[in-house]
Amino acid sequence: MPARRYVLGSFKGESEATLAIEALKKSSWELDRVHTPFPSHKISEALKGKKSRVGYFTLMGGIIGFLTGFALAVYTAVQWNIIVSGKPVVAWIPFLIVGFEFTILFAVFGNVVGLLTQARLPEFDTLKVYDPRFSGEYFGIVATCDEGEEQKLKDFLTNMGGEVNAFEG
Amino acid sequence: MSEITYQDIDNTVLASLRRPSLPYWLLITVLFLGVLIGLGCWLYQIFVGVGVGGQNSPVNWGTYLINFVFWVGIAHSGTLISAILHLFRAGWRNPIARAAETMTVFAVCIAGLFPFIHLGRVWLVYYMLPYPNQRYLWPNFQSPLVFDVVAISTYLIVSSLFWYTGLLPDLATVRDRSEGVRKKIFRILSLGWTGHHEQWRHHTRAYLFFAALATPLVISVHSVVSWDFALGIVPGWHSTIFAPYFVAGAIHSGLAMVLTLMIPLRKIFHYERFITRDVLENVAKTIVFTGLIVGYAYLLEYFIAWYSGNSVEQETFRWRAVGEYSVEFWIMIICNSLIPLLFFFKRIRRSVPWLFGISIFVNIGMWYERFVIIIGSVAHDFIPHAWGLYAPSAIEIGILLGSFSVFFFLFMLFAKHLPSVSMTELKEALLKGATHAR
Repeated sequence: MPARRYVLGSFKGESEATLAIEALKKSSWELDRVHTPFPSHKISEALKGKKSRVGYFTLMGGIIGFLTGFALAVYTAVQWNIIVSGKPVVAWIPFLIVGFEFTILFAVFGNVVGLLTQARLPEFDTLKVYDPRFSGEYFGIVATCDEGEEQKLKDFLTNMGGEVNAFEG
Repeated sequence: MSEITYQDIDNTVLASLRRPSLPYWLLITVLFLGVLIGLGCWLYQIFVGVGVGGQNSPVNWGTYLINFVFWVGIAHSGTLISAILHLFRAGWRNPIARAAETMTVFAVCIAGLFPFIHLGRVWLVYYMLPYPNQRYLWPNFQSPLVFDVVAISTYLIVSSLFWYTGLLPDLATVRDRSEGVRKKIFRILSLGWTGHHEQWRHHTRAYLFFAALATPLVISVHSVVSWDFALGIVPGWHSTIFAPYFVAGAIHSGLAMVLTLMIPLRKIFHYERFITRDVLENVAKTIVFTGLIVGYAYLLEYFIAWYSGNSVEQETFRWRAVGEYSVEFWIMIICNSLIPLLFFFKRIRRSVPWLFGISIFVNIGMWYERFVIIIGSVAHDFIPHAWGLYAPSAIEIGILLGSFSVFFFLFMLFAKHLPSVSMTELKEALLKGATHAR
């Protein structure tokens, strides 16, 4: 099996990058990844990515949080099992407030865990093949091809308006 | 914003991180002195006892609790701007969102200090936490004061994580334009962010959830703070209007603080092209809205006192307007409800000096609002022979000064070390066009 080559193309504009992605998807070459300085709706539409699953982590966190907060309030109340002024020891309404705050707190923890695991952060390896301009004004497209096709892929990205300025073995 | 390029945004924002000038150092020194004064006063109180403050029966909740509510209130507009306006897709919030979020984090930290200061014996603060202990004591989760511990801690953690998540792409931009030690630090801080499409896919979703979670949280936090008062049977406190009244007041004060911070910031760092007069005008319009709600709440409190037929309640509200604290009361009314009405005039809400001046008045008015509510109610409650007055001692004023100093000190450090305007969100707004960004 021939070795794969990675070609990095840098595009000045969002539209040029979007066109290149669309053309690349129709070609025999494989699109590896795209780098953008901000979340681009055009590019995400061109990539046709699936909906993020971060929300499931958030939801799980929220459910665990509500149960934790409510259970904590109930547990601590029954440790002091004294009825004061005829009020119930396990008071549902005030404990809902504690449950609510814990829901938000744990949902946010779930959200952060979801973001870190799904986006695979922290991750420092990609920086080896990366152009610092991608966090500024450039859009980067990394495509892969067989070893013998490298020049064709470079020409393709150049023709689409990109600067081909980095390679990866 | 049509003539601005992505490079302009990066260059202008990153220029704010350059080596500071002499005026910056002078300002930092003055603020640090203020921090030292506050710290010195607190240490004095710790060694001598909480009696060095002016609070005494019947006014046992003094300036420390006023400051607590004030700073929690200041914290609220950060979340309004970053979360609620994000959900509403109000593009004009993009240039000011970062600084407002930062303001939130610092303000909550400072607010959280005041219950510690008010406790006196601060080394026993861990009693508030629910953990198995030899005393067999647990916090009472039926108490609004314990709701507060949970709510404020949650708010601090959530707003800090929200702030950091939004900051990640900008940290990467700083990393990519830095050299040496700074590059290494920002490489770690940015967690290796590269703007990979998969990173954005999850980041935008997570950010949306953050906004959706922070929105009910922010409303709950100041509602819980209001219940510290409303659940007590003290006249002037025991009111169902307190939660929305406090939330509106919090946003009112927070927006004013946004103007107070943003106007010098845009001048010093040449952000005029990003934080335009249109942006400031939109903040001013929101202040008119919150000011009207607050004014309505002030009137409604009087109506309810009259309509209830409760003589104690009626006396409390009569005394507020004409009693010993009437000056503070009228400062509150004029600064919070009347002066912001000047923003109805387009010329005034587009004038930077007017915007700045009115924001200062609202800040003052909102501090006095808490004074009127907290002090005024307990100073003059049910039994005339138990009435008493309160005046803050020099130690309390020193700690108040310290709290403002530490807030501005932290903000100045932030503005010199991290991007005070979100470059990512500005680029997004630029792409969507001038109409959206406005």
